[in-house]
Amino acid sequence: MYKYSEKDKKILKKRTSEFKYQVERRLNGDLTEDEFKPLRLMNGLYLQLHAYMLRVAIPYGELSYLQLKKLAEISKKFDRGYGHFTTRQNIQFNWPKLTDVPKILEELASVEMHAIQTSGNCIRNISCDHLAGINNEEVEDPRPWCEIIRQWSTFHPEFSFLPRKFKIAVTASKKDRAAIEVHDIGLRLVKKNSRIGFEVYVGGGQGRSPFIAKKIKDFLDKKDLLNYLEAILSVYNELGRRDNIYKARIKILVNELGEEKIRSMIEDKYKNFVDKKLELSENKVKEIYNFFKLPIKHSKNSIIPKVDNVEFKQWVKQNVINHKIKGYSVVMVSLKPLGKPPGDMNAIQMNKLSQLSHDYSFGEIRVTHEQNILLPHVENKRIYDLWLKLKKIGLSTPNIGLISDIICCPGMDYCALATARSIPISQKISHSFNNYSQQKNIGDLKIKISGCINACGHHHVGNIGILGLDKNGEESYQITLGGSATENASIGEIVGPSFPESELMGALNTILKTYKKNRISEDEDFLKVFNRIGINEFKKDLYDNPQ
Amino acid sequence: MAKKLKGEQFYLSANDLISGDVVYLAKNKWSRNFNDAIKIKRIDIERYEKIAVEDENKCLIVGPIFIELTEEGKIRRLRDKIRKNGLTININQ
Repeated sequence: MYKYSEKDKKILKKRTSEFKYQVERRLNGDLTEDEFKPLRLMNGLYLQLHAYMLRVAIPYGELSYLQLKKLAEISKKFDRGYGHFTTRQNIQFNWPKLTDVPKILEELASVEMHAIQTSGNCIRNISCDHLAGINNEEVEDPRPWCEIIRQWSTFHPEFSFLPRKFKIAVTASKKDRAAIEVHDIGLRLVKKNSRIGFEVYVGGGQGRSPFIAKKIKDFLDKKDLLNYLEAILSVYNELGRRDNIYKARIKILVNELGEEKIRSMIEDKYKNFVDKKLELSENKVKEIYNFFKLPIKHSKNSIIPKVDNVEFKQWVKQNVINHKIKGYSVVMVSLKPLGKPPGDMNAIQMNKLSQLSHDYSFGEIRVTHEQNILLPHVENKRIYDLWLKLKKIGLSTPNIGLISDIICCPGMDYCALATARSIPISQKISHSFNNYSQQKNIGDLKIKISGCINACGHHHVGNIGILGLDKNGEESYQITLGGSATENASIGEIVGPSFPESELMGALNTILKTYKKNRISEDEDFLKVFNRIGINEFKKDLYDNPQ
Repeated sequence: MAKKLKGEQFYLSANDLISGDVVYLAKNKWSRNFNDAIKIKRIDIERYEKIAVEDENKCLIVGPIFIELTEEGKIRRLRDKIRKNGLTININQ
């Protein structure tokens, strides 16, 4: 893991005291709310429906056990004893008091964490493949590159007031677990002619106008990464619209200019930077790489214990993934237990999981963009023991990738922008499909729920997407089908008129019946069936012959 | 703040500046207790809008909003009902 330098610590300390002073000035009236709002947002502090909300950055989803322990402590001391992990690998506290926020930031700084650039029109937390550095398919570990981008983008003077927020995701695998094609910039490390460089995607995004990113560069030399990012951001900063918030994201610019034009503009700009400005030296890259060495020294002949326990077997099948080092596994900890808000974890769980990470996974933890957690390096022979401990704290749900592993935004229960609730919908679904065999029978399926068109719940790229709307004062849910955030990214198609909450579960069951009656074998998952038969079969069953 | 409001009567709500708690304008004060909230007629909106701005500047509240009421005097929108009643989910933490 990256460790802060003395300079990093100094900068963070300064920033924390700066915000403390800004809060004092707001409280004594030296700053109006209009003046204070952009300052609090720059420090991740929002005002939501019931209270303030503090969003804390978890750079590329990587946490140490000490950091998780600190998050537990903060949630208990300053909040209501829980936190919510988000689709951008961050964590949100839903109930902090304004006067406590400077203290929270000081606590965070003590474990090298902060809330900077988790809001505002700047480059946000860099997100990454949660299996980075521990899977066999990638060309190299992408985390050092996330760190390089993080350092470049933090407090970047030119890109602190962009037309709109800006999100970057990085992977190094063909299989996309970081949703790079629905980010403003998506980067994939690839190998070509025995050289490693980046494929660069630009202009993806969800929200009101969803777009799949365009690949604008097939191969970018690693040393020029920052020069190229600088070129993209410069073009966007110059030409992105500032007159209309709904048209301000780079995806709109890319779509309006077209792929060729945006590529040539970026390339022209890049020519000004290349070899001159931000070229990365081998030493610098090596220095960063050293922070990300695997803690496992040797492979082992260690196997997962064969225990005669159905629940354990189900959990291993669903939640345990091979590590690239023999004898080790990656353990996925589902934050979608039955009936709980997706992504939530209470202070007791955080504390215990921190200890488990220390005892079983070299103190490392990762947060996934699908709102789950993982312990990245667990020796196989200790997996049963770990499972027993996870089970005790309610963190052994065997549902990774299944229908109840739902991505869900906070929705109208918390969010000031939401037009409908989303958590109660996810809870209904998880209650309705609470049996493992029933879920297994449905197969791999990604349901994603957003409480408004801003799409924080990624509904556009759900195999089944659910969007909560306000229809004449009543909650109503629009369904999209066929979306995907993988390497074959696609935006879901709207199936038809929306459903009132009371009819939504019926509609979902009809969709699943249509899928099941059309699948050729049990191995053919929902998305494959949808791509083969198209949307009309689903429409017919939903609207023409409702059961 | 008062743009596009529906109906003839309203409550004035906000969040307490320090705690962030939901508060309602009551007689001469902001109260966490919804039962203290005073009903505001459309004709008086501008006057109360000024009070809200003043109180935000006095560092008492943040994010003032008018809550629309039905003819029967009930809260019209779900969002405002959730603000009044709290989460609709059992977080059971």
